[in-house]
Amino acid sequence: MKTGTEYYHQLARDTFMPQPGRIVEIADMTAKDRYFRVELEKPLGHHPGQFVMVSVMGVGEAPISISNGPGKDNTLEMVIRRIGRLTQVLHDLKVGDTLGIRGPYGSGFDPANFYGRDVLFVAGGLGLVPLRSLITPVVAEANRFGKITLISGCRNPSEELYRDQLDEWTDAGIEVIRLVDGTENMPWKFGVGLVTEPIPKLKLDPEKTVAALCGPPVMYKFVITALGARGVSYDQIYVDLERRMKCGVGKCGHCQINKIYCCQDGPVFRFSDLALLPEALL
Amino acid sequence: MSYYLATQKEIVDWIRRLAAENRLYFPEKHGAASYRFTRVGPGSDIQFDHYTPTVVPPVKLLVPAREELLHFRTDADGKTEVQPSLDTSFRIIAGVRSCDLKGIFLMDLFFREGVPDAYYLARRENTAIIGYACNTPCDERAFCAAVDSLDHTEGADVYITPVKGGDLLVEVKTKLGEKLTDGVDWKPCEDGAARRIGAVTARPEPFGRTFPAALPEISKIVEKNYESPVWDKHVKRCFSCGTCNLVCPTCYCFDVADDLHLDVASGNRTRSWDGCMLPHFAEVGGGHNFRPEPAARQRHRVNRKFTYLPEKFEHGAACVGCGRCGRQCTSHIDIFDIVTDLIQEGAR
Repeated sequence: MKTGTEYYHQLARDTFMPQPGRIVEIADMTAKDRYFRVELEKPLGHHPGQFVMVSVMGVGEAPISISNGPGKDNTLEMVIRRIGRLTQVLHDLKVGDTLGIRGPYGSGFDPANFYGRDVLFVAGGLGLVPLRSLITPVVAEANRFGKITLISGCRNPSEELYRDQLDEWTDAGIEVIRLVDGTENMPWKFGVGLVTEPIPKLKLDPEKTVAALCGPPVMYKFVITALGARGVSYDQIYVDLERRMKCGVGKCGHCQINKIYCCQDGPVFRFSDLALLPEALL
Repeated sequence: MSYYLATQKEIVDWIRRLAAENRLYFPEKHGAASYRFTRVGPGSDIQFDHYTPTVVPPVKLLVPAREELLHFRTDADGKTEVQPSLDTSFRIIAGVRSCDLKGIFLMDLFFREGVPDAYYLARRENTAIIGYACNTPCDERAFCAAVDSLDHTEGADVYITPVKGGDLLVEVKTKLGEKLTDGVDWKPCEDGAARRIGAVTARPEPFGRTFPAALPEISKIVEKNYESPVWDKHVKRCFSCGTCNLVCPTCYCFDVADDLHLDVASGNRTRSWDGCMLPHFAEVGGGHNFRPEPAARQRHRVNRKFTYLPEKFEHGAACVGCGRCGRQCTSHIDIFDIVTDLIQEGAR
């Protein structure tokens, strides 16, 4: 075991010091969701589904999903919803401003686990943001996978995220099912309904299918039930969960789900590994 | 390891000498009945007897209520420099009872595991501990023997046991302990180990409260009774104030927040105690709370002490039986009673 003041200084730096990231692009996605592209000093080296701790010194720090696929460049893409004090300050930042990044944290998805299988993505609301980090590499190597399907749902047409990206994936031959809970009198040329509704009618071979889910807490149980009814086995259903996190390194206690720590053991889990944890799903 | 025999007065004089040259904390009486680990000064009252556990356990000197993680300053060009804030100053904690030694031992495990915690470990490495054995239970709330912490001495640099005849047996356990006792003129004691055993066997039996099941069974019982009316029974009186978390020697959950100084250019990132019994502990941005009911929070807390952490760290219990949570709770909710009820419920 290493000890000594010098080691502890380095350890403190490695654990809690954010690295500077420069904002190079900002785009409004909805009235409250803003896209950020950030250039880091070195590549993030992340897996799909991992997250970073984003901070503005003097304001605070919060866990934010990584939205871009893995790559060798220094890019980090995120979509941040304005929801509190820190995210308000983040929304006030301009291109050229700097924010603090530490991470990546968590387990993430390994796309190699999906090779040769039909892949079904189910995204609810902001869940599309982290799932995009997995959809991107899967679509880029589509020939390594079977049929790729994405069900993406949100509350109403004004809340749909990554509209251009959804068009691009559709053009690339991915089956993209776009849904809203209700049109609320806004123009909308796609479907109306919950993300569970297309599942019984999907053309899928349960033996060959792997599913990846991310959405609001209430979504998981219903989607998993619908997939189970089609015969997709629980060890082929991956869920990307959300919890409160303050440290990212398994110490602060906020993200604990029964005996496991979402920040380290997750946030991506095989559902079969969660089935005995009563706190995992609502 | 070496043993000495010393009188009460010799030990008190030694503590005062150490305190004159070092930052030394000792459980001093405050008000009518409460004790606090207080920095010893010339006027401090140092006495080992008539002790009830301090309101806050000594391990919190290593995990302060609020501590700086980073400090930063932004210069006129808008460039921000961030540096870690690390406390490597030396301190001595004296008069630490076995339950609290066990608490420190468990915190050592928690903070060393996985990504080690620089802040805790830097403080821990620069802390000397003088332990003191309990030969009688401190009060009616103690259940240290029931969770195997009564004889915990690991982590102490010097461990003192009152022995037959009124003298104190001093056990020097580490190199740092040798340094602390360098130059003392106490009587060396050849049969120290035997005298210590003598003191242990002379203790009352049972020592404090005991559970109606053995420790390894208790973990299984708590886990098995995940759904149980016991979780509603005690929590009915709970105000979700989090006092049980704050006074617990093995609670270490924290919140992180930033402070901006009045110059609007400098500030710090701090962490402060948080508690899983507090209503918003598991609430995420947007307002969803993963543990909204007090009963779910209490179940989480009891499971952390008796199943989650013991399983993760392969250690009997993460509760040291100090009785603080029951002693300090406004509603007299006592983890001992909850676990006892679960054992009895499970036996039905």
